[in-house]
Amino acid sequence: MKLHYIWAALVGLSLLTATLTAANPSRAGLVLGVLVLAGLKSRLILRHYLDLSQSPVWARGFDLVLAFVLMAFAGLALAA
Amino acid sequence: MTAAQPTARHDEKPKASEEGAGGLPGELMIWVLIISELVVFGAGLLALLATRLTDPAGFAEAQSHLHRVGAAVNTVVLVSSGYLAALAVRLAAARPGLARLLLILAAGLGAVFLAVKASEYAALFAQGIGTETHAFFTFSYLLTGFHAAHVLAGMVLLLLVAVRPAPRPVGVAAAFWHMVDLVWVLLVPVVYLL
Repeated sequence: MKLHYIWAALVGLSLLTATLTAANPSRAGLVLGVLVLAGLKSRLILRHYLDLSQSPVWARGFDLVLAFVLMAFAGLALAA
Repeated sequence: MTAAQPTARHDEKPKASEEGAGGLPGELMIWVLIISELVVFGAGLLALLATRLTDPAGFAEAQSHLHRVGAAVNTVVLVSSGYLAALAVRLAAARPGLARLLLILAAGLGAVFLAVKASEYAALFAQGIGTETHAFFTFSYLLTGFHAAHVLAGMVLLLLVAVRPAPRPVGVAAAFWHMVDLVWVLLVPVVYLL
């Protein structure tokens, strides 16, 4: 995918995060929404800025670890 | 004495056979650094969230003093800077002059990031908020300050490789810069939003 599309997607996801935060959703909605958006941004950076799309095995490994970390963030944030 | 024969050109993007362990793109050592940094920041963010369980109301009140708009602006600044660095990697072999300009612009956006961050710190200091004010601020100053130090280091790297923008060093500096970008994307939700 062309780099400028990736940049546009990252800016778009960042604006979505700001919009979601400003909309003052429920605690669970905020936590899950913001972390899903952060996960999508991270995935784009890893695959297209850091070129992990060339290494599918490593890309899947990073996706897995990232998913666990974000789930841990969500669990702790919702437990507070 | 015969001149040393070149065994590989250092001005080309590494091919699959030259890549790191198991096909990782680029230099293996930069991936070791990236993973190490992600582990350190990840542990710090998990520690913040775990400590928050002891005083949710106090953490929420403390967090409300942070500048969320500044964090959002800085996210756009960093992902845009990462875009310029990624473009520079792709252009370093064919158009080194343009790659140099892109690297300088990427470092310039790093300076914008630090200026926004400095204004946020100044606003907190003006309110009398320091690292000892609340446990939340201990974590937030530590994590964002450590990240800002990485931004500064990344800017130095980008400017150094801009002097002679060959693909391999540009790739290493850009990978460090993307790591800084990635850490920020994960740090913002935990420190500023949740």
